[in-house]
Amino acid sequence: MANFNTHFNVASGASAIFSGTLLSMEVLTPEEAVVAFFLGTLGGLLPDVDSAHSTSIKVGFNVLSLLVTIMVIFTKSSTYSLIEMFLVTSLVFIGIRYALLDVFRQISKHRGMFHSIPVAFIWGILIAILMHFFFGLNALVSWVYGFMVTVGYFVHLILDESYSVDLRNKRIKKSFGTALKLGKFKKPKDKVQTALIYMSIPILLSIAPDTTLVINALFSHDAWLIFKDVLIPSDGKWFMH
Amino acid sequence: MNREIKIVCFLVVGSLFSACVPVPKPHVPIGLGSMHQEEIEINVVKVPSVTPPLVAVVDKEYGTKPLNYMNSIRSYFSNKIARGELSKYKYGYPKRAYKKEGFAYGGDVSWKGWLVETSVATPTRTGRLLTPKPYMVLFSGEQIVEHILGYSHKLITKVDK
Repeated sequence: MANFNTHFNVASGASAIFSGTLLSMEVLTPEEAVVAFFLGTLGGLLPDVDSAHSTSIKVGFNVLSLLVTIMVIFTKSSTYSLIEMFLVTSLVFIGIRYALLDVFRQISKHRGMFHSIPVAFIWGILIAILMHFFFGLNALVSWVYGFMVTVGYFVHLILDESYSVDLRNKRIKKSFGTALKLGKFKKPKDKVQTALIYMSIPILLSIAPDTTLVINALFSHDAWLIFKDVLIPSDGKWFMH
Repeated sequence: MNREIKIVCFLVVGSLFSACVPVPKPHVPIGLGSMHQEEIEINVVKVPSVTPPLVAVVDKEYGTKPLNYMNSIRSYFSNKIARGELSKYKYGYPKRAYKKEGFAYGGDVSWKGWLVETSVATPTRTGRLLTPKPYMVLFSGEQIVEHILGYSHKLITKVDK
């Protein structure tokens, strides 16, 4: 299994390539590309939040608690007094960073369904919904942010899976197949959990923003032409612009 | 093993060549329906064949209906999007609409006014003209408040269909 630093470095490298490409293709503005880079990196750390004492879970809950606290400040700053604001935000921060983290540690199991392909997609869709409804971003940017989280997530799963192959001793470790999986099917409980996860995908998609724009921007013939235009200098003059 | 390598090479070469075959451009509906459409190219301003009546419409709730919206949109986008001044524009009629804030900011109605659906075909940096992109341009009177990519947003409600 790859450690936190490896996951962080590889996910940030992959996110830099993807967000840089999307910036060059003019799908994202420079500011949006920076956010996309951070989300991709965060996506590369997300699968390990089910590990009770990993660095990812601490980072993840720090980010989440700060994000929700900032959102409370945004929404209530015009109506609450400073003392009210201080009390509410402290409660929210401590509640998420410590109480919710403790509950999460007790119910989650490392290398459970968090390390699976459908959950990577669910995170992407959830981020798209969150960006569209909570922050009011347009459908394209919302989906691109979701896409970046899914990319980061996949990078993590692939990295974990590749670390389960020991090339020197030419053996496959016990952890092989526990990261990049379609679901768990051993016990009846696992089957129910897997079924619920798959069932949640169409439900989430039904409330997610419109996909037309992101399909046109990333997966259309136009997108391919733009990619070809920006891949190498169109006039053949390298470093002369 | 050699056979597998040959198959992989064949597939890679095949897929590379398939990318060279021009594929028909995807049809992106500009979504303006049967509404008045007008095209303005930069430097060549075509006079619309059916000119909308230039009568000031004042709505108590939604404010004054923009009349000079085509020129406003064109000059607005020339600063907002890359190569906006070289783009081709198509406009719909102004519609009454309102927008709610994202739930993170309270979810209240943040704008009420007139919305113009606009499609913008922008050239790439190599000059290739792309499939038009849909935009919603939000007006408060004659003033553009903001633009939103796409013809729909879950937080925007169009009062006039």
